[in-house]
Amino acid sequence: MATTRPRHSAAGTQFLDPAVLGRIGNLELLARTVVDGFLTGLHRSPYLGFSMDFAEHRPYMPGDDIRRIDWKLFARSDRHYIKLFEADTNANFSVLLDLSASMSYGSHSLTKLDYARYLAACLTYFSNKQRDRVGLVTFDHEVVDYVPPSMKHLDTILHTLDRAKAGRPGSLAEPILKITEMLGRKGILVVISDFYEEPDAVLSALGPLRARGHDVIVFHVMDPYELEFPFQEASGFEDLETGEQIPVIPGKLRADYLAMMNAHLAALERSFTDHRIDYRLLDTSKPLDTALFEYLLARERMSKTR
Amino acid sequence: MSLVFLVPLFLIGFAGVVVPIAVHLTRRQRRNVVYFPSLMFLEKIPYQERRRRRIQHWFLLSLRALALALVAAAFARPFLDQSSGAALGSAGPREIVVLLDRSYSMEIGDQIEQARSQAETILSDLGPLDRASLVTFARGAEVVARSTSDRARLRGALDTVTVSSGATRFGPALKVAQTILEESTLARGEVYLLSDFQRNGWTGDEGVRLPPGSSLIPIEVGGEDTIDNLMVSDVTLPRQIVAGRERITPTARVVRRGGEAPRTASVSLELDGQEIQTVDIELAPNDAQPVSFQAFTLSQPHTTGTVRLDDDALSADDSHHFVLSPGTALSVLIVDGAGGSSDPSLYLRGALGISDDGRFDVRSRRSSTVRPVDLEGAAAVFINDVQLDGGSAERIRSFVEDGGGVLVALGQDSGWPASAADMLPGTPGAMQDRLQGRGGRLGYLDYEHPVFEVFSGPRSGDFTGARFYRARAFAPSDSAAVLARFDDGSVALAELRLGRGRVLVWTTSLDSFWNDLALQPVYLPFVHRLAEYLGGRGEALPWFVAGQVVDVADPEALETAGLVSSEAAGLVEGLDQVALSPMGGNLALPAVDGPRYLPLEEHGFYTVRQPGTDPDRPFVIAVNVDLEESNLGRVEPDELALQIEAPAIVDDGSPRLTQAVELQREDQERRQSLWRWLLAAALALFALETVISNWVSRRATGAAGVVTG
Repeated sequence: MATTRPRHSAAGTQFLDPAVLGRIGNLELLARTVVDGFLTGLHRSPYLGFSMDFAEHRPYMPGDDIRRIDWKLFARSDRHYIKLFEADTNANFSVLLDLSASMSYGSHSLTKLDYARYLAACLTYFSNKQRDRVGLVTFDHEVVDYVPPSMKHLDTILHTLDRAKAGRPGSLAEPILKITEMLGRKGILVVISDFYEEPDAVLSALGPLRARGHDVIVFHVMDPYELEFPFQEASGFEDLETGEQIPVIPGKLRADYLAMMNAHLAALERSFTDHRIDYRLLDTSKPLDTALFEYLLARERMSKTR
Repeated sequence: MSLVFLVPLFLIGFAGVVVPIAVHLTRRQRRNVVYFPSLMFLEKIPYQERRRRRIQHWFLLSLRALALALVAAAFARPFLDQSSGAALGSAGPREIVVLLDRSYSMEIGDQIEQARSQAETILSDLGPLDRASLVTFARGAEVVARSTSDRARLRGALDTVTVSSGATRFGPALKVAQTILEESTLARGEVYLLSDFQRNGWTGDEGVRLPPGSSLIPIEVGGEDTIDNLMVSDVTLPRQIVAGRERITPTARVVRRGGEAPRTASVSLELDGQEIQTVDIELAPNDAQPVSFQAFTLSQPHTTGTVRLDDDALSADDSHHFVLSPGTALSVLIVDGAGGSSDPSLYLRGALGISDDGRFDVRSRRSSTVRPVDLEGAAAVFINDVQLDGGSAERIRSFVEDGGGVLVALGQDSGWPASAADMLPGTPGAMQDRLQGRGGRLGYLDYEHPVFEVFSGPRSGDFTGARFYRARAFAPSDSAAVLARFDDGSVALAELRLGRGRVLVWTTSLDSFWNDLALQPVYLPFVHRLAEYLGGRGEALPWFVAGQVVDVADPEALETAGLVSSEAAGLVEGLDQVALSPMGGNLALPAVDGPRYLPLEEHGFYTVRQPGTDPDRPFVIAVNVDLEESNLGRVEPDELALQIEAPAIVDDGSPRLTQAVELQREDQERRQSLWRWLLAAALALFALETVISNWVSRRATGAAGVVTG
């Protein structure tokens, strides 16, 4: 199984465990808790706005970009200060959340959908703090809810996320095509799904988004049981989306299953990388910091490329 | 022997064996459904459905199935059908029981020889694996050889069989055979009954039933039930005192059974082995005649006598033995008042003095004191209307406690010292008159009591004619027994046991002053019975019947047997004794604590004496045969066999037979009760299965997914 530890993980940035987050009913509170905690522990300044409106100075902290040091102030005070600016809205940020029935699976207290909702809420909150216009599209085999990107839609998004329920079979092609048409302006698109489709089909569905110039970040949410298949007792396995049931003796099938799952993950990663789509596999038993780091890295990369 | 089910319908329950399999498969799937996000990978894995449904715990499954099968089998009530096995099997080793009748009727002709010969034939036909038992029987049964295949031993035992003096009783012998067959491990049982099949030997309610698979083969020997048989059925020996000596006038009753023409028979009387008199009588067929002999004087104790007929085909009943001893008079002391001019004991003394055999030796003392010398030799004391002093009362107390008997008649002058009030069965009170009308009567008599027992029959003595005009009130104590009451409920006669003796209180006079009982015919026997009861005299038996047993350590039994000779007194003193049987055998009767039983098996005279002594007049017991055996009426052998044999079942469909078959099967099933064992085994298996499955479940902690939302 691919590791979910972020490459830029720093000491003191471990967030609350997902199981604990599950007890926080309010998504906004949750997002704030996660994001603020994340930012407090982060040594690098996360805000990367392009606005030139001065906001305030703050002492330089190790890890801050030295280009942001106000040298004039240094000349006057012989101290290093960072010059902070009010970030302007600079991008459309939309979360594309998969609500297919398979997302309702969870081997522990948190289902994949819960995890995805927390993630979406955190990213949206984070982006909104960056003055991005935030939007949300939920879908299964069709678009369920659409919240167009706006500076004022944070509450709407959080509310929509709060009542999002998974229950119907899902597919990527049709709803993504529709979303591609709906999202006119280029922006940052975060796709959160479990991608139970063939890699080629996934790519053909997401490919048009990339082709329209969106920056696409893919979070592949998987339960640890899907990744490890630790079942022991012979049981009837029922597909959450189709209702189909087959008898399974896990001990006999585990090796084959894991091989196929790993091949699937590898194929997805390879395909997304080939198409310059950021891909990150998320284990629902792991903290959310991985996703947030991934997002920051993507933003940083985007800012460099602009 | 085969395994059969009484209620085979329950075998449908065997179908229940599939229940654990079905549960194993269906329930397993239903319980362990795992909801999984997608089967897109699992479906791609090639996998055989059969393998997925494979049963993992064969041992558990077999335990459950076996337990269910055992429950079903238990409800079907299985049993090992021994009857069908016996019906089918004509081969195989046999358990043979030969029952040989040795009752005295077998002496007719050569019946015993025939029976012995038949038994030899049966024993010679024994197979190499067969076992045989030899049981001889008359009144009782004796196992001479038990379940052996040793033919030499069986033949040796057969040679010892002789005719006994007992009567035929089939019950004990057949019960012995039943026991032997039930204990046998061989499948087939055969009982050979060799007898002359007298009807008297079988009542039909002996409760004998041979086990299934056994058969009774009756072999009749002789079979003459109409022989001309003479027998002495009874002898009466009335006594008379003539010139102070006892004279006996024996009268025998001779019975003739069968016969076709009148015949003459000689009846002789022997005393102490010497023939005294012979009387010839003529008897018609099926006739009976009394034969009276001349009286003889009885002077010696334990005089043996025999009334004998000429020998005929059945000789055991041709003689009748008896033993007589001169009677000893019962010493009676009458104490009455000294002052009165009348004689209150006139009637009492007169009544006790009147007897043919002089059984009472009456002494009188007219005084209010009783001296020790007065009580010496006395067996009964009548204290008739006298006021005793305290010393006399205490002497009376000692006398009673040593086994004596006292009657206190409460009259006008009677009284009892307060110091000895506990000796009486109650408290005497004032005089009560019954002068109204014709006086009082006796309203209640305890006819169970020895005093009144002889009056219980009709015309055996009428107490109702007596009138009672005055009596003393009497309040009986708790430990007293009231033997008679007047018609107003007041006590007439009460009794108290004191030590080994007894005290009776008669609440009215024994003369004709207060009542007229003394003038009634019943007065004499009543007074005699009172004296005999107080003196503890028992009736000596002149003879016993073969098969009875005498305890020679019991004084009362010896007294009943007629023991009077002082030379045989060692019997009651616990000395070693030896009994010489009529056939010449010796039976040692060692001195032991507890009873010493002398079985009287042979007819004739048993002589009991101390070893190494030769007394002139030893203690002799006469034994006669049971005359029931002289009745040669036969029971049908096949009828007897049908009653005790578990019938071989042949199902011809008749309702009664079907019912009989069913009853027999139920009986076998009830006796074997295999279902209890099967149920116990099933419970044990269920318990074992529970333990194992719990253990397996704990080991295999299966992981299952959770679906929420």
